[in-house]
Amino acid sequence: MIEVNDLSKVFRKPIRGNGLAGMVKTLFSRQYEEVRAVDGISFTVPDGEIVGYIGANGAGKSTTIKMMCGILTPSSGSVRIDGAEPYRKRRQVAQHIGVVFGQKTQLWWDIPLIESFKVLKEIYRVSDADYKERMDFLGEVLDITRFLSQPVRTLSLGERMRADLAASMLHNPRILFLDEPTIGMDVLVKEKIRLAIHTLNKTYGTTVVLTTHDMTDIEDLCSRIILLEKGAILYDGPLSQLRNRFGNLKTLTLTVPAEVRAETAPVLSPELALDQEEGRLILRFDADKLPLEQVIQYAFRDLRAMDMKIAEISVGDVVKTILAQQEAEYAEKV
Amino acid sequence: MLKKYKPFLHAGAIDTMAYRFNILIWAGITVCQVACLVFLWLAVYRSNAGGMDAEIHGFTYREMIAYVVLTTIFGFVTFNNDTLWNINNDIKKGTIGNYLIKPISYRGKFAATSLGNLATMTVMFGLPFYTAALVILRSLGFLPDLSFPAFFAHLGLFLAAGLCASLLNDTIAYIFGVLCFYTSSGWGLNSLKTTLISFLSGTLLPLAFFPAGLRELVNWMPFAGMSQNPVLILMMKYDLARSLRCVALTAAWIVALELFAKLLFSRAVRKVTVHGG
Repeated sequence: MIEVNDLSKVFRKPIRGNGLAGMVKTLFSRQYEEVRAVDGISFTVPDGEIVGYIGANGAGKSTTIKMMCGILTPSSGSVRIDGAEPYRKRRQVAQHIGVVFGQKTQLWWDIPLIESFKVLKEIYRVSDADYKERMDFLGEVLDITRFLSQPVRTLSLGERMRADLAASMLHNPRILFLDEPTIGMDVLVKEKIRLAIHTLNKTYGTTVVLTTHDMTDIEDLCSRIILLEKGAILYDGPLSQLRNRFGNLKTLTLTVPAEVRAETAPVLSPELALDQEEGRLILRFDADKLPLEQVIQYAFRDLRAMDMKIAEISVGDVVKTILAQQEAEYAEKV
Repeated sequence: MLKKYKPFLHAGAIDTMAYRFNILIWAGITVCQVACLVFLWLAVYRSNAGGMDAEIHGFTYREMIAYVVLTTIFGFVTFNNDTLWNINNDIKKGTIGNYLIKPISYRGKFAATSLGNLATMTVMFGLPFYTAALVILRSLGFLPDLSFPAFFAHLGLFLAAGLCASLLNDTIAYIFGVLCFYTSSGWGLNSLKTTLISFLSGTLLPLAFFPAGLRELVNWMPFAGMSQNPVLILMMKYDLARSLRCVALTAAWIVALELFAKLLFSRAVRKVTVHGG
């Protein structure tokens, strides 16, 4: 179980002057600017849950993860992993967590992959029987057996990431922190990684905290999401509720004759947004306010639609809308 | 618990072999250094008012040459250490995070690596170099009679002193490395450390040449045990009782400085700032 309580992290950044004169000035007088990367957040993650931790770049996601796994010490507030604070009881907590940073490998660069695993086996004191079982399991779900004897620097990005994931799971951690595990991966690799996370969670009941910019990761894996912006939590709850936050939004994409144009089309209701897109019309509306049936009739009768596609709003669009609103509010304040 | 560190011990031993070409170049440079120092000291003794055979600060020229040769070999074998650089790199590149998330002590990792280093260096270079030096110096009459059993007792204490010196060197390198958390100027810190150690350990000049007050102080500091004392134990300039005291003092310093290093690290690690990614 992860308990985060009123957690903050403030970085002190020296303000540097511009140009040579500014640089010389910085030598003698230093002024610091305080950056609140994480600003008083609280949440609890029960055992066995997969949580998506999302937000724009610089929202404070990685900083939170680093505090949860004991790399950074909070400025105030606390993190407890199964009751222990990771930055105080670093080694004790480290035994039970696994961490992957998508941007950086933790494997030893120059030695064959299998040697890295053997080192980790010693470090985490994994027994021979467990090691064998885990390697069989990971070899299968992450498909890493083929390149075990290659040095890590010769692996492709996708192979390396799968290897990094396997390395973080070797000691069967109770909690897994994944910081952008699918960054830069192709669709097939992304799929493999998602499947592995899912299987691990089902097989061992592993708790997973996942940051990502890929909303498909979230939709496939997470039952709950925490949305972070400027170091504060904007939304914490089930994925389904977030989707409905703006009502039951739907998008209709129509193929229409060339002479039917968004500007000249008859108006059904002010609730319906109409956009032109190379020979197609895009209709956006809230199905709770404007019945779908009515819109479809309108599409065939008034717009002479020849083909149509109905889609629900994606989580990505919801998040984009929330963040854009937040940005606008913030700009107003300043 | 210690088994966790076995891979690092192993890596330290292997890495040293991997860079054997580097080490061979260093060995070449070291031989030139020794030659320069030998001629320098011969010149000093020749110009001595009391004549070539007079002692200077308790050293005859024969002893001085033996001292110079043996301290150089000692330094070469014992102080092959990358701890400071590796910490500096870990901080600069942010790879320190990789170790902080593992259930091992950052200190223990480096101690194990340097012990591995020491083992390889001792077998690959120490054994042949010391043997050759001892045989040649003895046959030239520059060393006292190295007969059994007295010499074996000294040899044993020398090995213990060498192990302590290497560990102490690693502790000091680690402390300076941890200071990189505050300054991120690894190069400057390394120069400071190297200068301090070579001056205060008697590598540059035996501590007997220091003024009386300073000499007394330096003898109690950790550095004398890092070069001068082990070599004088091997040369049988110290009796067994004094040799034992020297080793005990170094061991005590290791304990004290390790405790200090622990305290320093626990404060410094709060300064870690790894943004993004």
